Amino acid sequence: MDTLLSVGVVAAYVVVLTFVAVRARAARQFSEFSLARRALPLALVFGSLAATYVGPGFSIGFVGRGFKSGFLFLGIGLAYAVQNILVGLLIAPRLRALKDCHTLGDAIGQKYDRKCQIVAGIISVSVCTFFAAVMAHAGGVVLNDIFGLPHWSSVIVVVGITALYTTFGGLRASVITDAFQFSTFAILLPVTLLFVLIFHLDGGAATFAKQAATATAGGLDSTSLIEIIGLVAAFLLGETLIPPYANRALASRTTRISRNGFMLAGVFSIIWFIVMIAIGVAARTIVPDGTHEDHVLLKLVESVMPAGGYALLLVVLVSVVMSSLDSLLNAGAVAFTQDIVKPFSELPDERALNIGRCATIVIAAIAAAVAPAVPSIIGGLLICYTIWASAILPALIIGLLVKRPRPLAGILSMGVGTFVAMSAIIFLFIFPSIIKAPAIIIPALGASLLAYILGHWIDRIKSGA
Amino acid sequence: MGVVILVLVVIAALSAIGSGVWVATALVSAISRNRGAQTAWRQANEKSNERDL
Repeated sequence: MDTLLSVGVVAAYVVVLTFVAVRARAARQFSEFSLARRALPLALVFGSLAATYVGPGFSIGFVGRGFKSGFLFLGIGLAYAVQNILVGLLIAPRLRALKDCHTLGDAIGQKYDRKCQIVAGIISVSVCTFFAAVMAHAGGVVLNDIFGLPHWSSVIVVVGITALYTTFGGLRASVITDAFQFSTFAILLPVTLLFVLIFHLDGGAATFAKQAATATAGGLDSTSLIEIIGLVAAFLLGETLIPPYANRALASRTTRISRNGFMLAGVFSIIWFIVMIAIGVAARTIVPDGTHEDHVLLKLVESVMPAGGYALLLVVLVSVVMSSLDSLLNAGAVAFTQDIVKPFSELPDERALNIGRCATIVIAAIAAAVAPAVPSIIGGLLICYTIWASAILPALIIGLLVKRPRPLAGILSMGVGTFVAMSAIIFLFIFPSIIKAPAIIIPALGASLLAYILGHWIDRIKSGA
Repeated sequence: MGVVILVLVVIAALSAIGSGVWVATALVSAISRNRGAQTAWRQANEKSNERDL
């Protein structure tokens, strides 16, 4: 009976989502597919940004961290909020002000040269595909938990539905469905927290404060300083302007909306982390001690909510995954068309649109194929963060801020950043006991920055300026 | 102290719910505008087809 109810609720959700996606209408031009005609209002930019970054890591993951280490991760999460606010203040308006710019690769191409655009495009497509594989893996886990389907078929269902509306609707469909998914989880998860606090917290405020203090102290004891520094660096830089976020900055109606969208998303992330961690802390009096942190949220809701509530939570989790996945598929497809195909041939608009659609399907297929090999949600995300931050960020941010960025500096920074990040990841897999995953971002980013400075210096000497 | 933490948590939860409602409202108006734009586009297309014929 409960399974029937869960299936019914998830099916109803998919029907409503399909209705919303159809109402978002199919893209008729490449500019609509890639940038939604640069007409997104503030609420949709904000909702879509927040829906994209609130993936399984920032929901299931943060509830688990709250359960294990209390409010320690709120301090680390603040780095993420600061990053969003800084991007809103300093980077997003500059990005939005660039003319004829569809992607980050375009921005890098305009600031450096075409070679840099192609390299940035290859990195963007690869990172989006791997991020999408991590999301597909998470979606598979959620559906597997609900229906007991084999993992591979759960992955195919999640990726198939998401790819369908993203392929036809492009960025606009992605943003509109993101807004729907954001509203679903931004309302239902805090309501779950309030429900637990009102009806299931024995001992009231004093118990909550005691649990929070005990968990936070335990978290501080079990996390080394270098791990905390690595985590802060990963949260500060790892997701900075990844292609889906950049697309939303570029698609905003004005530079002001672009700036405010990122700043609001930054402020919302603090609110969100407080809610997720508080759910984890409240769960400490309800869920058994040894529960794996990825299962705390599910176990909590299973214990305290009626069957209908549990089914609704499953819908929330599906929303969380799909809203991140659709943005990544679209961003990867747009980067492929704009940064890898277009520099080599003049494309009529209709052909560019078709290539974008085909690329969406191919990226979705690769993500689905790679998903079963993803080690874990957090582990997969940390790998993506490390590659992205070291390969792209120095070249992109310095390029947008300085007057005459040098192409050699850009290409060296991207090449060395990618190489060191990949080497560090391989090293991590071979010798997992020697280094901690969050810490590898630091040497990779440092190498990328040094390579940038070196390239700038050599180019300057060569050109005699 | 406990009460202060709990009040902050409740304020955060209510703010998140408020954000969800705000985005939902914007979504509804974006979808309705879309329908208007779609109808206008279809009518313009039909007119131009009639002219071509």
